[in-house]
Amino acid sequence: MAAAGGSGWVVVCEKFRTARTLSTVESRKDPETEPYRSKYSARALLQEVKQLLSAAEDGEEARLLAVRRAVLEYELGVNHTDTEELSAGEEHLQRCTQLLEPHRLSPDCVSLYIQAQNNLGILWSLRDEIKTAQTYLESAEALYNQYMKEDGNPPLDPSEHFMSEEEKITDQERSKRFEKAYTHTLYYLAQVYQHLEMIEKAAQYCHTTLKRQLEYCGYHPVEWALNAATLSQYYLSKQCFMEARHCLAAASVIFSQAGQVPSAEDNETEQDQQDLRQRKAEIARCWIKYCLNLLQSARKLLEDNIGELDPDRQLELKAQRKKEEDEKEKGRKKAVLFGTSDICDSVLAMEEKVSSVYPLDFQEAREIFLVGQNYVLEAKEFFQVDGYVTDHIEIVQDHSALFKVLAFFEEDYERRCKMHKRRLDMLESIYVDLNPQYYLLISRQLQFELADTYYEMMDLKIAIGNRLEELDSHTIKKINSLAQLAIKYYELFLDSLRNPDRVFPEQLEEDVLRPAMVAKFHIARLYGKLITSDSKKQLENMQTSLEYYTFLVDYCEKYPDAVRAVETELELSKEMVGLLPTRMERLRAKLCPFI
Amino acid sequence: YSFSVEGDAIKVYVRVRPPSEGMALSDGDQGLCLSVLSSKTIRLHSKPEPKTFTFDYVANMETTQESVFSSVAKNIVESCMNGYNGTIFAYGQTGSGKTFTMMGPSDSDNFTHSLRGVIPRSFEYLFFLIEREKEKAGNGKSFLCKCSFIEIYNEQIFDLLDSASPGLFLREHIKKGVFVDGAVEQVLSSAAEAYQVLTMGWRNRRVASTSMNRESSRSHAVFTITVESMEKNNEVVNIRSSLLNLVDLAGSERQKDTHTEGLRLKEAGNINRSLSCLGQVITALVDVGNGKQRHVCYRDSKLTFLLRDSLGGNAKTCIIANVHPGSKCFGETLSTLNFAQRAKLIKNKAVVNEDTQGNVS
Repeated sequence: MAAAGGSGWVVVCEKFRTARTLSTVESRKDPETEPYRSKYSARALLQEVKQLLSAAEDGEEARLLAVRRAVLEYELGVNHTDTEELSAGEEHLQRCTQLLEPHRLSPDCVSLYIQAQNNLGILWSLRDEIKTAQTYLESAEALYNQYMKEDGNPPLDPSEHFMSEEEKITDQERSKRFEKAYTHTLYYLAQVYQHLEMIEKAAQYCHTTLKRQLEYCGYHPVEWALNAATLSQYYLSKQCFMEARHCLAAASVIFSQAGQVPSAEDNETEQDQQDLRQRKAEIARCWIKYCLNLLQSARKLLEDNIGELDPDRQLELKAQRKKEEDEKEKGRKKAVLFGTSDICDSVLAMEEKVSSVYPLDFQEAREIFLVGQNYVLEAKEFFQVDGYVTDHIEIVQDHSALFKVLAFFEEDYERRCKMHKRRLDMLESIYVDLNPQYYLLISRQLQFELADTYYEMMDLKIAIGNRLEELDSHTIKKINSLAQLAIKYYELFLDSLRNPDRVFPEQLEEDVLRPAMVAKFHIARLYGKLITSDSKKQLENMQTSLEYYTFLVDYCEKYPDAVRAVETELELSKEMVGLLPTRMERLRAKLCPFI
Repeated sequence: YSFSVEGDAIKVYVRVRPPSEGMALSDGDQGLCLSVLSSKTIRLHSKPEPKTFTFDYVANMETTQESVFSSVAKNIVESCMNGYNGTIFAYGQTGSGKTFTMMGPSDSDNFTHSLRGVIPRSFEYLFFLIEREKEKAGNGKSFLCKCSFIEIYNEQIFDLLDSASPGLFLREHIKKGVFVDGAVEQVLSSAAEAYQVLTMGWRNRRVASTSMNRESSRSHAVFTITVESMEKNNEVVNIRSSLLNLVDLAGSERQKDTHTEGLRLKEAGNINRSLSCLGQVITALVDVGNGKQRHVCYRDSKLTFLLRDSLGGNAKTCIIANVHPGSKCFGETLSTLNFAQRAKLIKNKAVVNEDTQGNVS
């Protein structure tokens, strides 16, 4: 047989190899004016090879020939797809799978078959027929699983069909390439599921892809770490803290490898160093979100209907946890573990540094808080305010949020106040310098957050004061000043809504409706809380308070759509609008009893 | 509970250029893939159903440069005088008339040409307003205009006013917002001077594209004017500053592989070590999240970062989407119109956390 051996075969192999090089290496250097020059040359060579393969009679020879043809059809299919000739590409790929169909489970065909299916998937996605793409990819996935179950030996790599015996590759390399082809199947499936909005499945396939990259050493540490850290944020949004922690721990471990690997050229540029530091800070920020979410979710579980820690609920959850711990070993780790034993050990060690179960008391909450706070410091090292304003402020806001949720677990009101004070210090120092012309949205966030924090502290001071026999002048002064500051920041926020001529909008935009109304409502309440012994002053405050409550009521009357956004506030405002005038009347009567 | 604060939506204008010469209009509408129905709507003759798009303003083939300027840019230049930042983007396929719309006929360096585009007209108008303000205020008010001109190519920033400078970086300043660190700033005293700087930079862009093998159709060019005014009222000095960004976006056909085509599997066959696009998939998954606090590791592109202020908040922004009416350009035109439609929805979202628990008593 002409093609199987001798010099003819050598020529065939040579041509095939040249075609491959043209297609994968040379084509990248093609000029913009002739983008497919090398691909076209490769195609011509492949056609020649096809011609050179002479027909065989039967038996073993026929099978061998069919497989070789399939390889050529595959290459031609990919080539046509690359050059935007989809129909021709599809034909070639279909012919490839047809030729292989009877042998698809044998070690010399399975890898090629899977890759042909992968490429059919890509091809159909180019036609926006994502469902069809999905069927090809899922069948590739199924074939892989079947092969691994029934045979499992490292299969031939498609390129080997055009190699001489002595060139053939090792089993280890074969297995590596086969696994990589399958990793690509999963990676394409991840995209398909994402397009089809099968979010959970897409995430699962991303996870598996990452896991396989690690297993077969097909990864770039920094990129892998960022992907894992980002995936952790998906798990966070699903409240899967164990999975989120695992991804983050793996991200940190793999990232640390990146620093150790000496770069190709030793003169790593300043920019590369900078990038590396930034990535590290990004991962730290993902950890911050982890701690924050875990604490906030725990708070949700533990709070009563006025937002305080519910001790009954706490006992109940503690008992429940105890029970779960006993049977923990069984159900644990349903998450896919990352890495081979070496990496896995490091990841597990990393995980031990922070819990993944809801904290149920101050001590437990504090431990998570401290981990989060450390990451805040780490992230701030890179994201300094000079140069990274937005990122820096976001981190500060997270830091403040960590304190806020920690305060929930603190039973001592004085200490709780101190925590809020810390928040005020960090937020205020950043707010004073911020230019709202460029950072309007952040500036509003800070105003609101500051106002709310003062408001919260004032409530705490009142609660502390209520335990005393009588309010001392110091406490009164404190309460009043906190209330004034809360009012100040709510007003600043409301002012930011005014147009350039300083006019407050007649109708509020949908997106600022609720915050604006809440600000008005809180200001009304704050005027009601101001303590004064001067009755005239008290009357004035009541009058202001009434005006703000009235704003809410009038606004909702005028724009009934707004009611939905502020139902509770509106109800209370209406009540106050009814009550206040009578109270003021009584006060007035006391002031001037003879009128 | 949390709420979001959003800025103004972006205004979107579409301009249809006349078909290229040689493609006579006499063969009726046959060679055209669209028709302008009104000053706000455009119909694309797609099959089986024609598709109608609505925008803030649609300029047909006859619309003059002057009227494009007055409906698109005038308002933005005025707000700039009032202390708002303003941005005008030009978007569209190469050959759809972006440069004509923004600069004017390519063969003329003449700033007084009757067909001059939005940019020279904005210069004139800006300096006209400045002069008027100065007259009104007498000695009490002074202005300082500066400009910079940069190019973003392949996520790297080049200074078009200093062709010798190496790549530059974006930074943020707590008072000044986002800026290009080290970019040359040139002081401007007249519209003609501004135009001179612009054409000089434009020429540098060409030179760079040939010497460094980069193409202008793949790069974004951003011309920024900073307007600073100082007003003295007795002892009080009032300083105001605002930015006007004029942006020539890369040809839209080059963006295909990033986001215009939603349903395309990212091919990884040729990528050896890594599946670099996996991150995009994961980012998309995280984006779907439900208002939960999270951090996504992948940064915005340099362009969106630079124009962050333009996409909401204290800025007036508009996009001019240029399209070519020829049926050959159907695909590109459709994707441009789709992009423009989506741009209308772009708002800069920020979440403010509010917590009312326990406070209502």
